[in-house]
Amino acid sequence: MMQLSRDIQVIKEDNVTHSFCGLACVGWMYQKIKDSFFLVLGTHTCAHFLQNALGMMIFAKPRFGIALMEEGDLSKNEPTLEEIIREIKADHNPSVIFLLSSCTPEVMKVDFKGLAHLLSTDDVPVLFVPASGLVYNFTQAEDSVLSALVPFCPVAPAGQKSVVFLGSVNDVTADDLRAEAEALGISVGGFLPESRFDKMPAIGPDTVLAPIQPYLSRVAVKLARERGASVLHSLFPFGPDGTRAFWEDLAREFGITVNLRDREKAAWEKIRNQTELLKGKKVFLTADTMMELPLARFLHSAGADVVECSSAYINKKFHARELEALDGVRVVEQPNFHRQLEDVRRIQPDLIITSLMTANPFVGNGFVVKWSMEFMLMSIHSWSGVVTLANMFVSPLQRRSKLPAFDREVWLEGVMPSAE
Amino acid sequence: MRLAFWLYEGTALHGISRVTNSMKGVHTVYHAPQGDDYITATYTMLERTPQFPGLSISVVRGRDLAQGVSRLPATLQQVDHHYNPELIVIAPSCSTALLQEDLHQLAAHSGLPQEKILVYALNPFRVSENEAADGLLTELVKRYAVAQEKTAQPSVNLIGFTSLGFHLRANLTSIRRMLQTLGIAVNVVAPWGASIDDLRKLPAAWLNIAPYREIGTTAAEYLAETFDMPALYEAPIGVEPTLAWLRSLIEKLNAAGVERGVPPIAMPKMHAFSLDGQSAPSGVPWFARTADMESFSNKRAFVFGDATHTVALVKFLRDELGMQIIGAGTYLERHADWVRKELEGYLPGALIVTDKFQDVAQIIDDQMPDLVCGTQMERHSCRKLDVPCMVVCPPTHIENHLLGYYPFFGFDGADVIADRVYLSCKLGLEKHLIDFFGDAGLEYEQSEASPSPEESQPSGSNGHLSPELTADVVTITEEGEMKWSDEAETMLKKVPFFVRKKVRKNTETFARGNGDTMVSVEVFRQAKESLGG
Repeated sequence: MMQLSRDIQVIKEDNVTHSFCGLACVGWMYQKIKDSFFLVLGTHTCAHFLQNALGMMIFAKPRFGIALMEEGDLSKNEPTLEEIIREIKADHNPSVIFLLSSCTPEVMKVDFKGLAHLLSTDDVPVLFVPASGLVYNFTQAEDSVLSALVPFCPVAPAGQKSVVFLGSVNDVTADDLRAEAEALGISVGGFLPESRFDKMPAIGPDTVLAPIQPYLSRVAVKLARERGASVLHSLFPFGPDGTRAFWEDLAREFGITVNLRDREKAAWEKIRNQTELLKGKKVFLTADTMMELPLARFLHSAGADVVECSSAYINKKFHARELEALDGVRVVEQPNFHRQLEDVRRIQPDLIITSLMTANPFVGNGFVVKWSMEFMLMSIHSWSGVVTLANMFVSPLQRRSKLPAFDREVWLEGVMPSAE
Repeated sequence: MRLAFWLYEGTALHGISRVTNSMKGVHTVYHAPQGDDYITATYTMLERTPQFPGLSISVVRGRDLAQGVSRLPATLQQVDHHYNPELIVIAPSCSTALLQEDLHQLAAHSGLPQEKILVYALNPFRVSENEAADGLLTELVKRYAVAQEKTAQPSVNLIGFTSLGFHLRANLTSIRRMLQTLGIAVNVVAPWGASIDDLRKLPAAWLNIAPYREIGTTAAEYLAETFDMPALYEAPIGVEPTLAWLRSLIEKLNAAGVERGVPPIAMPKMHAFSLDGQSAPSGVPWFARTADMESFSNKRAFVFGDATHTVALVKFLRDELGMQIIGAGTYLERHADWVRKELEGYLPGALIVTDKFQDVAQIIDDQMPDLVCGTQMERHSCRKLDVPCMVVCPPTHIENHLLGYYPFFGFDGADVIADRVYLSCKLGLEKHLIDFFGDAGLEYEQSEASPSPEESQPSGSNGHLSPELTADVVTITEEGEMKWSDEAETMLKKVPFFVRKKVRKNTETFARGNGDTMVSVEVFRQAKESLGG
């Protein structure tokens, strides 16, 4: 157990979970950075994962692909990617190519940095993104992508005080955050990442970095170290409580004092029907996307009984405020799924937030679930995201209450002979 | 090294888990880095398993490698403690296979009894999904099947029916229905729903039915060699093949019955096989002979898929519906010889053998068939080209995992396939009318087919990033497009919408051949004359 300030205890287990590896980040990152190409140096397994999990065949020309390592490539000293890079440039004309590592070449100790350097040209840089499942969880490779982009963020001169939001969100959410900041009198320097490679924001000693996704601790530390930027340590802007803290704390960084108590109150009022339903409901988060801490904190504030909040990785500094707000809640890092399954059966939670792999079987066991991945793809940030966020927890509960009671014989018999 | 976007076959791990996920009391432990158990989602989401598949990952982290520790023994203990399986299959992933660890020794460190563990350490760089599944099934059959008394009455094993198999449950139902009609008992289905004990019982059956070339054939061959069990390897797809299959089944069982003094099975009246028990067993023979279907004899079909379905569909389309086969191929190189032999005399050219979907898409683009039978990848390729396509084999899409009874096997299956051909293809008399009089106000279908730009941007508020559930959108990128004059464009509009793309393409090819850079009315007319449109 690690000790935090105020004696908040995080239980650490052995990370036997059902979740994706970092390569999954390709699914949203290539869409966010519109002039990019994501090249995975990987095997059949990586390709099969991407095509199954991300449904990549739906695009005639996806801006990502696999440099497929076959048996013959294993004996070569260094992979030769020149031909593939040429093909990508001819077909897609990207401004930047992200070269993602995967498990097999990492086991082979491929020198990715050297390789990326070798393949880079002035026109089209090739940037190394560590993403393999040997080291990184599901969402963490976005952190790697953003870190790789740091050299391409211009240096903001000292004295240019502005906020740069960290994390890829869609344009609507980005516009909303920008407008909110400006309304509070905060100068906005931009977003890392912006949606084009040549538009990355300037970052310097007077930049305040405001992380808007909870899985980006490495790039925040890197920018603080390399550019002297300061990092906002607040709650993440999810839910009325998180959003108020986020904006008040951010404003304070700019010497602006605001009191958003009324706004928070109004936001809670707006979701009163939802929080009424959530009150006292036992909620279990099994660990998947690393968004678990802020989501659990919102649920906790909304009156739900968070029976377990597990997350693949917890950074006691980066997540300090969320952990403080979760005081009294059972928080587990790198949980063991077998143990969770037993606890779930014993505790009988009303709602389980869990991965794509485990959602349907939990339903088959009579539980109500919500896909954890959906929270990454919905506009749940800041004030405008409050209703959406609350509804995401409430809708599965309501839906289940409208369906007939669970009946094994009518629903499940013979569906999965191996389980009978 | 090559740039790949999409592959037909899954990995060895996928093949292994298809077998173990089918079985009772068997658990697979992947010795693999975080994320390799994405495979679990293919079962829980495509097959929608209501229980946790028996798949656990023994996570390998970079730090473990650096420190030289392995979590495998501890994972095995955990799996044993929590699920108490009869057998744990240990499989390495591509990355851990490179570590050249002694998995047997690591497994022994768990302290679990040897007979509870099977290390299936094949080379994931050499072996893919189907070969791994077929291999593991055979391995399991070898390990457990024991000589024993035959059942008193005629009985069969159904071998090769595997989790995530194409229309698996419906095919199984169709076969069971036919066996029931003949009064033949099913001894064991494997691996689907089989326990270790069921595998032990395999040799009690009189005969093995192993209709899938990809999975199960090797196990049936082993049983034939070791326990002298006859086998039926054909797939009963189509009416005539089903009849032949039934006759062969009866003949083989009766031959065995003579030795055992059991009275022979007689072929019942055909209507006994129908769903209502009082009709022709399939509508296909009559349907194919109706005047309405005459136009099908001119239709040009292209088939691409695994081995079993490629062979069966080519034969069905030509022999039973009277269509023209303009080409066929398979992505399973190891079965290519068998497919070639089976399709001797059916194909106008050589069998296409490739695992690159772009090659297949190019052939379809060049040939513009009237019907393509393929995998979900061909479906995508065909959508772009507006070529009718039906999915006839894996790899599949969530749309191919439906709830209703849609077998491909047996008489019931022949009806399902014929219906799909009929619905996929452009119609007969209706087509003549449209050809003759113009587009009959059916323009809307074309505008419907083009995707809206918003839908192709799942980064927005509602885009689910989930296996196969993503909106099915095809983005068409036109490159090197040839210009058409307004008048020529108007003339093109008079061509029926469903052949318009083909006509546009042929005309442009013609124009390019003539060195034209733009299609004028004159060029269009010349093309029509020259191409006979």
